[in-house]
Amino acid sequence: MFNRTLLVLPVVLAFAATASADPSMAPEEVLQSLIDKVDSKYLTQSSQNIMMMPDNPAYWVAEEGEELFMEKRGPKNASLEGCDFGKGPGVLEGAYTEMPRYFADTGKVMDLESRLVHCMMTLQGFSKKDAAIKKRHGSGSDMMKLQTYIGSLSNGYAWNPPMDHPMETAMRDAGKELFYRRAGTLDFSCNTCHGDTGKRIRASVLPNINVPEEWTKAISWPAFRVGHDNVRSSQHRVRGCYWQMRQGRIEATSDASIALISYWTDAARGQPAILPDMKR
Amino acid sequence: MIKHKNYTTPALTLVAILFATFSYTAVADSLSDSLIFEQGGFRLSQKTQEGGTVKDRLTQDGIQKVCSKLGAASVDSNTAASVTSMARESIKKPAGGIKLGDWKKGEAVARSGYGFRVGHKTDDHSKREAGGNCYACHQLDPNEIAFGTLGPSLTGYGKLRGTGEPILNYAYEVIYNPHVYFPCTHMPRFGHNNVLTGQQISDVMAYLFDSASPVNQ
Ligand code: HEC
Ligand code: HEC
Repeated sequence: MFNRTLLVLPVVLAFAATASADPSMAPEEVLQSLIDKVDSKYLTQSSQNIMMMPDNPAYWVAEEGEELFMEKRGPKNASLEGCDFGKGPGVLEGAYTEMPRYFADTGKVMDLESRLVHCMMTLQGFSKKDAAIKKRHGSGSDMMKLQTYIGSLSNGYAWNPPMDHPMETAMRDAGKELFYRRAGTLDFSCNTCHGDTGKRIRASVLPNINVPEEWTKAISWPAFRVGHDNVRSSQHRVRGCYWQMRQGRIEATSDASIALISYWTDAARGQPAILPDMKR
Repeated sequence: MIKHKNYTTPALTLVAILFATFSYTAVADSLSDSLIFEQGGFRLSQKTQEGGTVKDRLTQDGIQKVCSKLGAASVDSNTAASVTSMARESIKKPAGGIKLGDWKKGEAVARSGYGFRVGHKTDDHSKREAGGNCYACHQLDPNEIAFGTLGPSLTGYGKLRGTGEPILNYAYEVIYNPHVYFPCTHMPRFGHNNVLTGQQISDVMAYLFDSASPVNQ
């Protein structure tokens, strides 16, 4: 059974650098520690969501994800326990907060979603056409169940994507260019809306990428999006951003999407992840 | 797709690795451009409402290129000068001079964020006209509480400034291409980029200037 007590396991703090990074905290306590640190209209904009976090529907999704993770599935009848998310096969605690990272076995920088797809194909033998891999969105999809489970095991850990390999820094730097790249009929870049503090689009207070305490909440996906009544992923957020910017459809787990996620994760470095989060 | 060779020499320089692994060529002048245009980042061939493709949407024009290069920095005087002159050249005035249209239609333009979205869902302009979404960034009608703050409040715009020729001309140019006055601004170029028609611009101007408009109450 997956529940939050799992997260209270006595895990040695890998990064003593940030006092507030503490995997034994519940997601709402992590958020509260950030609110106590910085004055942020973004972090505090929905007291209703903060109140609902202990009953986040994403916990059920994570629980189903744990079962799927352990289950022997696919043509090769294997579980995902042999999948290496960067800290060794089956090691999930704090693995997601150290992604995207370079994987020698594929020669690529991969984010959570692309690594999961890779393991489902190589270990379990699924093909890209199988629903298990093809269906990327919605609380009912295998992909979101698994991502929510794996992500939850990084709650309270500080974001710490490795920058040791030249491809990791190259992807991060390319992601930075993408973040500031204006294009399309409205001339928007991500920076149009996420470069200042306390600004609003209509009634939504926007997170500022230059304030890591705000930005960690912004990038804490999977999160239950109340307005969508579904758990959503980082890749889903990226797709939505480009759609809103009128710049077309970014391909899921393309290197462009992973580069952007590398940059946005690097920008939250040192701050504790809120997983699963709850968003508007 | 990235062609990844297994490289085992950590001593390779970054540049060599980029060429070996990303195979990004002189066609794209940066890795990010290569990821967009050469490495399958986007559905480039998808059709857009204005009759082009996503590839055209993602291809930057002069102002987009120059302003993107600034990154998080604010605009320097050289960049400002070149952007302002590009913007000045782009301005097209209506043949019969600048006239105020119908503020009620202008209100709809200011409120609507519909239009030009392409991807997993695509806006259909034959069903609904594209809007200007001014409320995303500006306060206008003082009774509307769901207004954005990326831009300044425009409440009482005409009441405070009157409707003389110079101010109408200025507002028209700001809406057509705001980089004339605010180089590398975050405000879209509604005229230059053909987001709004000439009629829609005169209607939204009526919303700003007409004494009967809720903006001026
Ligand atoms: C025109 C404004 C605008 C642009 C441009 C924009 N965003 Fe956002 N972004 C928003 C708004 C508004 C939200 C709040 C959630 C919502 O309503 O969708 C948001 C939410 C987010 C979030 C999650 C935070 C939350 O609380 O939901 C992330 C991360 C994010 N954007 C990243 C990006 C990236 C990366 C880009 C560029 C690829 C981008 N945004 C471009 C307006 C924008
Ligand atoms: C994405 C944000 C955004 C949107 C959408 C937007 N604006 Fe703006 N607007 C701005 C910003 C920012 C400024 C201030 C210029 C600057 O400093 O860069 C501005 C300035 C202006 C000004 C000049 C204000 C002055 O003090 O003289 C006018 C007029 C204006 N906008 C009208 C409009 C209208 C009409 C629309 C919709 C059709 C619109 N704007 C949509 C961001 C926006």
